[in-house]
Amino acid sequence: MPFVDFNGSKLEVNEEGFLANPSEWKKEIAEFFALKEEGIEKLSDDHWAVINYIRDYYMEKDIAPMVRKICKNTGLKLKYIYELFPSGPAKGAAKIAGLPKPDGCV
Amino acid sequence: MNEKKDSKDPFDEQIEQLTPDDLQKALQVFEQKIDHKYAAHLNSCVHCGLCADVCHYYLTYKDLQSIPAYKLSLVIGVFKKYFSFSGKAIPRWVGAKTLDKDMVKEWIDSLFGRCSLCGRCAINCSIGLNIPYLIRTARSALAAIGLVPPGLQSTVNTAIEKGNNMGIAKEDWLETVEWVEEELQDDIDDRNAVLPLDKKGAKYFYTINPREAMFFPLSIQAVGKIFHAAGESWTFSSDNYDVTNYGLYNGDDEAAGIMSDRLVRSMKELGCNTLVLAECGHGFNSNRWEAPEWLSKKYGFEVRSILEVVAGFIRDGKIKLDPAKNQDLITLHDPCNLVRLGGIVEEQRYILKHAAANFIEMIPNRQKNFCCGGGGGQLSMTRFSERRLKVGKIKSDQIQKTGAKIVASPCHNCIDQLMELNKHYKLNVQIKTVCEIAADALVI
Repeated sequence: MPFVDFNGSKLEVNEEGFLANPSEWKKEIAEFFALKEEGIEKLSDDHWAVINYIRDYYMEKDIAPMVRKICKNTGLKLKYIYELFPSGPAKGAAKIAGLPKPDGCV
Repeated sequence: MNEKKDSKDPFDEQIEQLTPDDLQKALQVFEQKIDHKYAAHLNSCVHCGLCADVCHYYLTYKDLQSIPAYKLSLVIGVFKKYFSFSGKAIPRWVGAKTLDKDMVKEWIDSLFGRCSLCGRCAINCSIGLNIPYLIRTARSALAAIGLVPPGLQSTVNTAIEKGNNMGIAKEDWLETVEWVEEELQDDIDDRNAVLPLDKKGAKYFYTINPREAMFFPLSIQAVGKIFHAAGESWTFSSDNYDVTNYGLYNGDDEAAGIMSDRLVRSMKELGCNTLVLAECGHGFNSNRWEAPEWLSKKYGFEVRSILEVVAGFIRDGKIKLDPAKNQDLITLHDPCNLVRLGGIVEEQRYILKHAAANFIEMIPNRQKNFCCGGGGGQLSMTRFSERRLKVGKIKSDQIQKTGAKIVASPCHNCIDQLMELNKHYKLNVQIKTVCEIAADALVI
């Protein structure tokens, strides 16, 4: 798998830019991915609410949460989540949260 | 920016560990799938080269490896070597090829990595060879020895083990249905709008691509709104709602049969009249055309695309649409599995004509349309994602030339690829299902 340059060190990602080793994730990596993948210069509190929820859910269940759970637990509206992460919950939010690429048509 | 890692990929290591028994097993499966008709196809390619200029891989890369006839020659060579008299008697004269580790690598790179099974070569073949079927037979042989690229195989595994291809737990599916129902009721201010579950004797049994429930539920809400407006009896199943079938792509007929049989079982348990397949190209092709073959039995019920059903509602006056509600210029992407291989060509156009004020075709279109690049399992095979984005430039250019603001795509797999193309090539368009556009135009 390829590496990307992350603040002078090497970070292993897959061919689509998903973090190769989800356990390596930290806040600085989320900020790095947010800028690289979504062009977000500064993550807002709402961004973090979504990212942290997805991250915690994944650590517990080993799978990304459904968008229903993201809305319910962050209190944010569905359309607003798509605005926060233009590439969508999988290739935007979950990627920034350091999750691997999900199975299926994504 | 990127550099390759030195350590070996587990999938590549798996190829290195292949035994002669594995190769024998692959050949057995390959042989089982080649009947007299397809043996004739494998003996007939005249290398005219007409297929080159119609393949999105060749048009992008302009190299020998991307020509459909070349990809097919890898399958033909192995066929001749083991299953033809000429291949045994004069192997070099007829291009016979041994199935060894190097050939397995080439099969994987070409037949999984440079083909989206879109079938555009087949309709342009001077002698009408079913090239995608023949390429799929080689994929079947690789599937039999566990050599399907990881993302594609794990999608099949998840579907087999968890009941749907994204591994959605039952309680999460039920909670999502309930939530979408509430959203629908709020949207149209009507408490009678429901998303029924396990309703016995309902006329329509509706299915979805799990991606909708997982991440993009607005398309479920749109269809719920249309069924409600039409006053039709319909239902979801709380267990078997997945329209996808990646067995079509990995070539594993047994797995494909298990997935399709779930829908057949639920149809029978609920006693519904028509199995309605969501806007999912390969799901339509699988469950409309291929599944009876995988299951070795005929369906005892009707099978329709949701597009046929909605077009019927419009034609019969069951729903009324106001095109003035969708003013932005809309173009339409034709998913290969639904259109060229599936035969659903005019229904989506009929719906959009009634639902949108401004519509423009992309060129070419209908059966001649180009693949978006995401078909054939490409979307799931990460190792080939760079090629996927490159070959998608053809689709991106088609979209750009229309000047449309919205791309309608009656396939969730294509939608995901189109979303990536939108970002990568900065198209600045919105991508929607046909039913989302129709639902926005409903006069209730």
